[in-house]
Amino acid sequence: MAIIECKEVSKNFGPKVALDRVSLEIPEGKIFGLLGPNGAGKTTLIRIINRITIPNGGDVYFNGRPITSTDVQKIGYMPEERGLYRKMKVGDQAMYLAQLKGMSASQARSELKAWFVRFGIQDWWDKKVEELSKGMAQKLQFITTVVHKPSLLILDEPFSGFDPVNAELIRKQIMNLKEDGATIILSTHNMESVEELCDEIALINQSRLVISGGVEQIRREYGNNNVELVYTDSEGRHTEVLPATTDGAPTLRTYLEKSGVQINSYRELMPRMNDIFIKLVTGEDRI
Amino acid sequence: MNFRNIKIIINREYLNRVKKKSFLVTTFLVPILMAALMLVPMIMMLTSEEKTKVIAVCDRSGIVAESLEDTKTIDYVQAPDVPLDSLKKNMKDFGFDAVLDISEINEQKSVTADLTSVNPMGVEMASNINNRIESAIEDYRINSYGIEGLSQIMQDVKADIKLNTYTIGEDGEEKISETGVYAAFSMILGMIIFIFVTMFGSMVMSSVIEEKTSRVVEVLVSSVKSTELMFGKIIGIACVALTQFFLWIVLTFALVAGASAVMGTDLLKDKNPAQMVESMGVDAAAVEEVMPAEGPAGDISVVLDTIKNMDIGAMLLIFLVFFVFGYLLYASLFAAIGSAVENEGDSSQLQLPVTIPLMIGYFIAIYAFKAPDSAIAFWGSMIPFTSPIVMIARAPFGVPGWEVAVSMALLIVTFIVFAWLSAKIYKVGILMFGKKSTWKDLWKWLRQS
Repeated sequence: MAIIECKEVSKNFGPKVALDRVSLEIPEGKIFGLLGPNGAGKTTLIRIINRITIPNGGDVYFNGRPITSTDVQKIGYMPEERGLYRKMKVGDQAMYLAQLKGMSASQARSELKAWFVRFGIQDWWDKKVEELSKGMAQKLQFITTVVHKPSLLILDEPFSGFDPVNAELIRKQIMNLKEDGATIILSTHNMESVEELCDEIALINQSRLVISGGVEQIRREYGNNNVELVYTDSEGRHTEVLPATTDGAPTLRTYLEKSGVQINSYRELMPRMNDIFIKLVTGEDRI
Repeated sequence: MNFRNIKIIINREYLNRVKKKSFLVTTFLVPILMAALMLVPMIMMLTSEEKTKVIAVCDRSGIVAESLEDTKTIDYVQAPDVPLDSLKKNMKDFGFDAVLDISEINEQKSVTADLTSVNPMGVEMASNINNRIESAIEDYRINSYGIEGLSQIMQDVKADIKLNTYTIGEDGEEKISETGVYAAFSMILGMIIFIFVTMFGSMVMSSVIEEKTSRVVEVLVSSVKSTELMFGKIIGIACVALTQFFLWIVLTFALVAGASAVMGTDLLKDKNPAQMVESMGVDAAAVEEVMPAEGPAGDISVVLDTIKNMDIGAMLLIFLVFFVFGYLLYASLFAAIGSAVENEGDSSQLQLPVTIPLMIGYFIAIYAFKAPDSAIAFWGSMIPFTSPIVMIARAPFGVPGWEVAVSMALLIVTFIVFAWLSAKIYKVGILMFGKKSTWKDLWKWLRQS
């Protein structure tokens, strides 16, 4: 079941085309990577799903029916350019944003307090936002994005600005939210986190959808599916690449039958997302 | 429109501003300044009147001295038999503030007069002395024609007219009215609307700019519609304006009343509306034309009667409607401009077409009392961009009901049209970053959305 379905979505600003008939499905409960170079139209697509921008053509469906403005209360959006009211107190700010997402004041307060404890920032409630460091403000921004328990979470470059410790904290929270049933759209240029987190991806380039599908499947599709064997014998460790057509069992057996040989790994070689990205965007083949 | 969201936005915009230190400071400082502005001239008037200047008169013509009658502030005394030079040098020791030296009558049947004083004499005093000498010379010249029974003729001719002005109500009943009071009201109300529209209109603009620069706007519009955000903001700030306005009035009156009580005199008793208006910086000559400095205007009971005779209900209604819709119209324009820029410095160029009509309205309004029914005042009070300021300035003089109705309708329709256009510009503008926008861009956005 797709939580979001875009059908032939187009958007142009005057003569400039931002999205050209993009169709894609975002399956429920998955982490969906939205990839593409700068200026490809990702932000426009995200804004269309958020109903910030209304498309010139095509339809967006939320849980199978045309999306309405009340559906945005079930979406949590963290834009790439983070922003909070600088002069407002942290607590007031979080309460305000939570209430705009449809929470009652008491509900918002108790949920927020729980999140503040989870992130170890209880003491910040009465501080002004301008007193916070960049990383602290990022944490607050993340909390305000997820506090209303959205069923769809749209995170644009969620790890930028975090140190490795806090990035790990956010990563864990994203996984928790996924386990609780939330769908997450992750827009990022960090291909490692795509490989690590995403179940499916879509790549947009020059306003068009170039490819979409499962991460494993795409990586397999773009590689030659060679197999890598690592073994150790009396001379040391060796790495050998075998063709995709290699029959695993007899090949391994021949190695095992040699005396003093130990198999370290035997795995399919898949291209890295980074290389696939570059190939699809520039046509330059590094795979 | 989701009214729950609008309410939350109004709440934040209102509480966040009202709780600010700067709001509290201006709320208390302005009434103190206003009260000072009202009290200081009154105190000065009161204290200056008590000091009487003594002027030694050396009248060599022999005809002027008898016309120099003592006034409240001037005592004329015959100069002692001392050489004039030493009298001038030592006037303080003789107990004089000034020496008035009048020459003998010359061939033109005139005199020259020299007034010497230690401290400079006020303009008012000099003109008083000048008038007296002139009338003495005029009498002398008329006398020189040797007309029989002249003094009787002069007595008969002398006219002393006091103009009482009345306005006739629709029931045919005469009401005493006082142009001065109307003029003061007209100007003050016009000014209030101008100041509030400008002040709170630009507050809307800076608030929009703040949300845009801090990028919080993208998070906001992912929760609420941009129109909800814009109108919530405009209404929230309108509530701030009304709160401040109300507090200013209450506090100013409390301060003036308190100060009057402390000083033990009712300062308002001698208050002259002409001076009130003058102290607001309007040139004195223009005021004098419609407001005689002396006469019934100085009498507080006439002022009160006049106020009572104005249609307070109608005035209040006109004030509120034009205040509210005037603000709404300009606030939405300011919001559209704010959405197009990323810092306040860039806004001045875009702001100009909006502030110019406001200024024009203001200038028509502060002179409206001179000719409240002139063509410029009429059109100023009809055209929606100036009408909020000009109509309220005309209102104390009475404006035909149909004019008020047409002007209100025009203003409301204009507000709706421009609010709609502004909302379209705002919607696109708040998400435009990185380049300086021009009016051409705004036009493009309007057609795009």
